Amino acid sequence: MSVLQFGVELYYLVMALVLFFLTLRREPQAAQDHRIAFTLSTVGVVVALLCLTQQGELFFRSYRVDLFSQIFKLALALGLFLVLAISRNLPSIEERNHAEFYLFLTTCTVGMMMLVSAVELLTIYVALELSSYSLYILVPLRRGDDIDVEAGVKYLFFGAVSSCFMLFGLSYIFGATHSTYLSDIMARMPELVASPIGVVGLILAMAGFFFKLSIFPFHFWAPDVYQGGAHQVVTFIATASKAAAVALLIRLAVLGAQYGYHFTQILVFLSIISMTLGNLVAIIQKDFKRMLAYSSIAHAGYVLIGILTLQETGLASSIYYALAYLVMNFTVFMVLTQVAQDGRDLKIAELAGLYHRSPLLSMSLILGIFALAGVPPSIGFTGKLFLFTSAMNQGYFWLVLIGAVNGTLSLYFYLRVVYAAYFVDAKLPPIYLSPPMRALNYALCATILYFGVAPNSIMELARAAVRAVL
Amino acid sequence: MPALDPLFVLCAACVILPLLAFGGIMIFTWRRPFLSLGISLAASTACLIIAWYIFWQRWGDPTPLVLNVDWLVSDLVRVPFGFLLDPVSQLMLVLVATISFLIQIYSIGYMWGDPGFGRYYADLSLFAMAMLGLVISSGLLQLFICWELVGLASYLLIGFWYEKFSASEAGKKAFVVTRFGDIFFFMGLAILVIFYGSLDIAAINAAAVAQKMEPWLLTTCALLIFGGICGKSAQFPIHVWLPDAMEGPTPVSALLHSATMVAAGVYLLTRLFPFFAASPPAMTYILAVASLTYVLSSTVGMVARDIKQVWAYSTISQLAMMAMGLAAAGLAHGTLFAGYFHLTTHAGFKALLFLCAGAFIHHYGTNSFFMMSKGGARHLTIPMVTVTIGALALAGIFPFSGFFSKELILGNLWHLDNKLWVSIGLLGAFLTAYYTFRVIFVLLFPRPEDHPAWDKYHEPLAGGHGHGHGHEEEEAHGHGHGAGPFSGHAPEWAINLPLIILAGVTLVLGFLQGTLERFLLGESHPHEMNYLLLVLAVGLALAGIGLAWWDWGRKGASWEGFLSKVPALEHFFIQKWYMDHFWRWFLNAVIYNLFSKTFTYNDRRVVDGGVDAVALGCIGSGRFLSFLQTALLQLNLLFMVLVLAGVGIYLLMGR
Repeated sequence: MSVLQFGVELYYLVMALVLFFLTLRREPQAAQDHRIAFTLSTVGVVVALLCLTQQGELFFRSYRVDLFSQIFKLALALGLFLVLAISRNLPSIEERNHAEFYLFLTTCTVGMMMLVSAVELLTIYVALELSSYSLYILVPLRRGDDIDVEAGVKYLFFGAVSSCFMLFGLSYIFGATHSTYLSDIMARMPELVASPIGVVGLILAMAGFFFKLSIFPFHFWAPDVYQGGAHQVVTFIATASKAAAVALLIRLAVLGAQYGYHFTQILVFLSIISMTLGNLVAIIQKDFKRMLAYSSIAHAGYVLIGILTLQETGLASSIYYALAYLVMNFTVFMVLTQVAQDGRDLKIAELAGLYHRSPLLSMSLILGIFALAGVPPSIGFTGKLFLFTSAMNQGYFWLVLIGAVNGTLSLYFYLRVVYAAYFVDAKLPPIYLSPPMRALNYALCATILYFGVAPNSIMELARAAVRAVL
Repeated sequence: MPALDPLFVLCAACVILPLLAFGGIMIFTWRRPFLSLGISLAASTACLIIAWYIFWQRWGDPTPLVLNVDWLVSDLVRVPFGFLLDPVSQLMLVLVATISFLIQIYSIGYMWGDPGFGRYYADLSLFAMAMLGLVISSGLLQLFICWELVGLASYLLIGFWYEKFSASEAGKKAFVVTRFGDIFFFMGLAILVIFYGSLDIAAINAAAVAQKMEPWLLTTCALLIFGGICGKSAQFPIHVWLPDAMEGPTPVSALLHSATMVAAGVYLLTRLFPFFAASPPAMTYILAVASLTYVLSSTVGMVARDIKQVWAYSTISQLAMMAMGLAAAGLAHGTLFAGYFHLTTHAGFKALLFLCAGAFIHHYGTNSFFMMSKGGARHLTIPMVTVTIGALALAGIFPFSGFFSKELILGNLWHLDNKLWVSIGLLGAFLTAYYTFRVIFVLLFPRPEDHPAWDKYHEPLAGGHGHGHGHEEEEAHGHGHGAGPFSGHAPEWAINLPLIILAGVTLVLGFLQGTLERFLLGESHPHEMNYLLLVLAVGLALAGIGLAWWDWGRKGASWEGFLSKVPALEHFFIQKWYMDHFWRWFLNAVIYNLFSKTFTYNDRRVVDGGVDAVALGCIGSGRFLSFLQTALLQLNLLFMVLVLAGVGIYLLMGR
């Protein structure tokens, strides 16, 4: 029955195949393509849900299916579903490319699903590249000026360079431990404590995921890609792809547990710089997506706080935060795509009068933004609370203090969004939302509030998942 | 104590139901007046039933019952949330629930057609919730929270017609002035927590009785808490908010100045009576303040021309009398019964007086009782009869309820060695009878059309500082009949029914003195009749009425008070002893010029300056850091490599 354990990935491969045939059509039929892709992704979520409790190893032990991987697969399936839900109207991508857009989103999802299950270095690398290449193509798909090309080139370059670092690091690890299996490496790591080769290799190997998560100093691509990519593509990059990166960072970071101080010190350093840099630069941004890019750099720093504790609670809080971030960031992006229905870039000031144009959207916006800023009782607050508590229990007082100060700093630019939406008036026509879109809004708002107040079910799941990794 | 004790549930329901009504109306139904009315009335009826049920259930059981659950538990601090049921709180619970229910009924008629009908009932519900919660609180912190909520609700209600400048000003004044007293209250609570460690009412009283508290602590806290009582119960020198509070709708005045809000202060004094009684210095101080307030308010009441103003000052004076009664009892080792009984009777007859005033105002569209008289107030039979009953009770005439409770208080004062206090009490009784019947006689016996007195009283109430302005237009505006969903005329029965009920209460309550005393204290003390005092008190009250008859009632009366013989004194009273002027001066000189200026300067320069510097620093560093984000790909990559190299070097060298 081992094929069934590969079921989710298989399903998405088939889905990619179907979409591939759609791309071959001479006359593009955008509406039908979307309907098919959306239906398939909806079924995909159900499939991922059904496979949630599977366990086993595949492909000569290089591929492990456990609760940890299945949770992230479900999150990725959900991410794809959500992004497709706001892709009915794709003004910024040419109509003949719509099918390609769905196709590459799906292949990227497949890549990331394999990524979260991979427990062997080369498998990890191949899966990572599969997801990255899809994104390299998706970013410059945007129609219009050349800003997308610049973004695409930058994304490719930074991706390539960080892949280089990663391969370099992987080669170090392989050279030192003579194995590419994480389980073997983990067993042999204690022997390497005396020499720095293991930890250098590990840090370099993590570079590939620092890049995905846009952690300093691999963050340079984020602002340009966020601004230059089509809204839906950026939404996918900002939500699903971040979650996958967190999963792999956790897998790799636990390898360094023996190194103790020096290893975590570097992560602390990267976390602090990411938070501070992201929040400070976000303050002066005027473009909404660019601001969100810097905020994503800052949030990567927060997630790192949980990872660097290398303890069950800390890692579980990181997973919780990654999932929370997926929801809250998606909520904000969803509002963005609905407000900018012609696909143009939005300045923060252009949100003016949203309260009058669509009270529901502005409610979603305010909840999403407050969750990002960490205002109770949203999931963002609860997630931050978990992260900070776990770090505090490990004795990282200064890190938590800096994190808290950063949270305050970030309020400044988040509240500017709320201010624009609620307190500035603009004589613009109201925004029409279709009934499914309204339902999506309500569901997101409810999720943000419900799991902020009652986080225990998710947290228990995350703990169980982490136990599978440790 | 198990949380599911049925009594606990009932008490909690008593507090929560009106709160739900408030929330529901404010959020959902405020646009729909009748639905809001229904919700509010339902909550208030439920509270009424619960209050009477508890009263009946625990009748004849004087042992206090404390029902607590832990609300906030930190390491060392335990803040319970709960209810204290003993005769004192049960009687007050019934009183508050009944009066607020009657006011809600009355308001149907009075507020009929007002555009803010729904909001009005929401505010009333909030007020009921706060007041009921205050009455049955088991701890002072919980009581304080409700106390402040009462303040908030009164602010909303007094400033209900917020579009009228004087009303919103009066609301603010009431809020700020009472808050001024609450500062002291809160300081008292803080000191009590720090040095004694508990805010549980029963525990504090027991400790004070057992002399477990140090005298300095006791006196300090008692005086500070009395500061809060001064604010709420409008005692000198922070009584100035109460007359202005008449800007609210008249039922609100009735609610605030009979059994609730102002009574909350005296109720607290009663609640903590053993605690206060353990500190004779504090009790002496309270007695002095209350006596001063008593004389002050009675004299101002003699010259007011707005019917609500007269009742307002009479409220202040009666509250002062209750405080005097309690203080005297404390000094003479008496019981709290006299003051508390007066609180009970006063709640009945003062609500009655205000509601009657409301009926007149509603009918004639003016607040001046001279103008009502001219309009023929004597023909409004039911209000006229009931207002006379109320006035007789206020003046302390047998067999109305005020007579019994006043006798008791004067008896308490008589027991003090210093006979000054009882003479002040008697003087006050005389003045009260005079100014009360001034109103009654003016209403009953209007002068003929060509009487010279009309010239004096004809002008609208412009002389009184601000209040009284524009009542006519505004209230008329408030009663735009037939507006929106309101059809037809306001129901007369809604106004008359509460009047009749309250008049009945005023007649009966006095004879229940013995029963109530047994209920409150568990025993009844036979009162030795002090015939000298009885004769003095009744004689002076009758003398006051007689003088009022001479000045205002008899055929040839000139409608000029005996005070006009002494113009200087009359002017002094009309200016309300210059208290408003004093506070104006105090605000300008001390608060604005001294404190505000310094703090504003500190705020501008130090606080704002610091905050601005931080903010600008953040933005500046953001600008600076954004230089890293150049469009030059090579530089970015170089930077990336350099950072990783740095990390590598750290790992290699740092070991």
